[in-house]
Amino acid sequence: MFEDHEIISTIEMVKNENLDVRAVTLGINLFDCISHDLKVFKNNIRKKIITHAENLVDVCDTVGEKYGIHVVNKRISISPIALVGGCFSSDQMVEIAHELNDIAKKVNIDFIGGFSALVEKGIAPGDQALIDALPRALSQTERVCASVNVATTRAGINMDAVLAMAKAIKKAAALTANEDGLACAKLCVFSNIPQDMPFMAGAYLGVGVADAVINVGVSGPGVVKRAIERNLEKNPDLNLGHIAEIIKKTACKVTRVGELIGREVAQNLNIQFGVVDLSLAPTPTVGDSIGEIFQALGLTNIGVPGSTAALAMLNDAVKKGGVFASSHVGGLSGAFIPVSEDLNIANAADKGFLSIEKLEAMTSVCSVGLDMVPIPGDITVECLAGIIADEMAIGMINSKTTATRLIPVPGKKAGDKVYFGGLLGEARIMNVPNSCLCDQFVKYGGQIPAPIHSMKN
Amino acid sequence: MNKVIITVLGKDRPGIISLISNILYELDCNLENANQMILQHQFAGFFIVDPPSNTDLENFSQTLQRKIKMSGLTVHVDTVKANTISKESIKGETFLITTIGPDQKGLVARFSKIISQHNANIENLKAVFKGGSDPTANIMSYQVFIAIDIDTGKLFDSLRQKAKELDLDIRIQHKNIFDAINKI
Repeated sequence: MFEDHEIISTIEMVKNENLDVRAVTLGINLFDCISHDLKVFKNNIRKKIITHAENLVDVCDTVGEKYGIHVVNKRISISPIALVGGCFSSDQMVEIAHELNDIAKKVNIDFIGGFSALVEKGIAPGDQALIDALPRALSQTERVCASVNVATTRAGINMDAVLAMAKAIKKAAALTANEDGLACAKLCVFSNIPQDMPFMAGAYLGVGVADAVINVGVSGPGVVKRAIERNLEKNPDLNLGHIAEIIKKTACKVTRVGELIGREVAQNLNIQFGVVDLSLAPTPTVGDSIGEIFQALGLTNIGVPGSTAALAMLNDAVKKGGVFASSHVGGLSGAFIPVSEDLNIANAADKGFLSIEKLEAMTSVCSVGLDMVPIPGDITVECLAGIIADEMAIGMINSKTTATRLIPVPGKKAGDKVYFGGLLGEARIMNVPNSCLCDQFVKYGGQIPAPIHSMKN
Repeated sequence: MNKVIITVLGKDRPGIISLISNILYELDCNLENANQMILQHQFAGFFIVDPPSNTDLENFSQTLQRKIKMSGLTVHVDTVKANTISKESIKGETFLITTIGPDQKGLVARFSKIISQHNANIENLKAVFKGGSDPTANIMSYQVFIAIDIDTGKLFDSLRQKAKELDLDIRIQHKNIFDAINKI
């Protein structure tokens, strides 16, 4: 039998601290679906995805009910479409996006990721077709998520791709102007994209993995926050070393929950288990926020001086706890700081505590990047490309993943309210200094070479 | 003689385990298994022992009663009947069923009746106190073994229905989730 505190803490984590499995993502390899004939290709991917995923939602619900842990999102990631559909034109790529959207509806999942390209060292015809198709594909579908990797530590930054992505983002926003540029919320630009990440919008299935694999994304910012608060209430003399230890232990527990659920889902579907991605991913719900952790750590708000240090500690403790809990930790495994998806972060930005420059600085020590940041719609392509390039450089130099999910909201300016709905949340548009500049730098194009520490062979 | 189970009850104080174990040693018994708990300062202990082969249960019981009499403890002795079906041979899974809400008479009676009607076995039951004086924070936790041939859906539906009638929050979770979080 369990001790009283073990029963109480487990129930509290689920009941009051929003512990859940944020995403069970079924990765499906589509390389055996390749055909030069679009009709055949679409039939092949439909058949393969539905065969693997038809029971995904039911199995996740059943396993979730057994353990009393809600599996919030059931999703699918696929091989990069720019690779498996490399022979198709941009118009045909849009058709593929529609097919994927329809398949997602058929198997009752909210997002399918992998409308993706890997262009860190050059853009092949299939990659170009996919990038050209992005604005239409994302504005005409609801459930398709896209990502383009434009930089790695080993390859450097493809600046042609950076500029192309800035243009694609502007076009995608324009095509969904009546929804505050919603298409851009489904589009990530990456440096060092992980190939096993279960979280959207960046999830895709890498090329060196099994035919089908279950990756699990666990969350738990509310659990971490309450653990800090509880321990500080008991002992106000705790120092940051003690608090880091508390975060680490909590992350360990949460990771074990994810692995338990993920392995059982994988077993029931007869699919290989991949990784647990322990990322502190917030939702717009109060008590399920990364921003609130900063307040629990004694900061007025996320964004004030001390925030980068706090985030560095948080991210590191989460990784250490995750690695101790499971030998199969992957994806991003750290802390997310998406602006609109986290009510507390959105409020911090609204009140002026958090600027886009501070946000960028913070991304040098956490798992992701400028995530779900609404910015003025009239930002120039060059300025947008500059922000993306800066973020990619942080990832490249630090041998870590960074990404941007920027939403230039058409017709709106800094301070205006935007609403994306659901988990995507709402926020006020962040001010971007010098957003009207059209500097030459990003237009030179070419490749920013890989850093010296990439020479590891 | 078969193995013997000895139950000891009484007000908790230092030295009870020492007293019992030394008496059993004097009686040349091998202590095979023991468990104890303290509920609101009352001691309850269970000891399974292997007595010498020529032991008479009646005499053994009387001797034990006599030796323990002065201590103010109550003792009950019985033989352990061999179990023809080991628990390990029954396939099933263990769940923790936890009710949270205001304390009320008949709480355990009503839930245990449903569990019993579905032929599931309560392996452990405990009232869990969160501390403080919040009357709504009464937690009862039942660790229940459910054999594979039991309709868990029906059992869980009945429990949830009863919890709703009594205005209680109920959580039904497989034991492994508690292991995953608490046992490293």
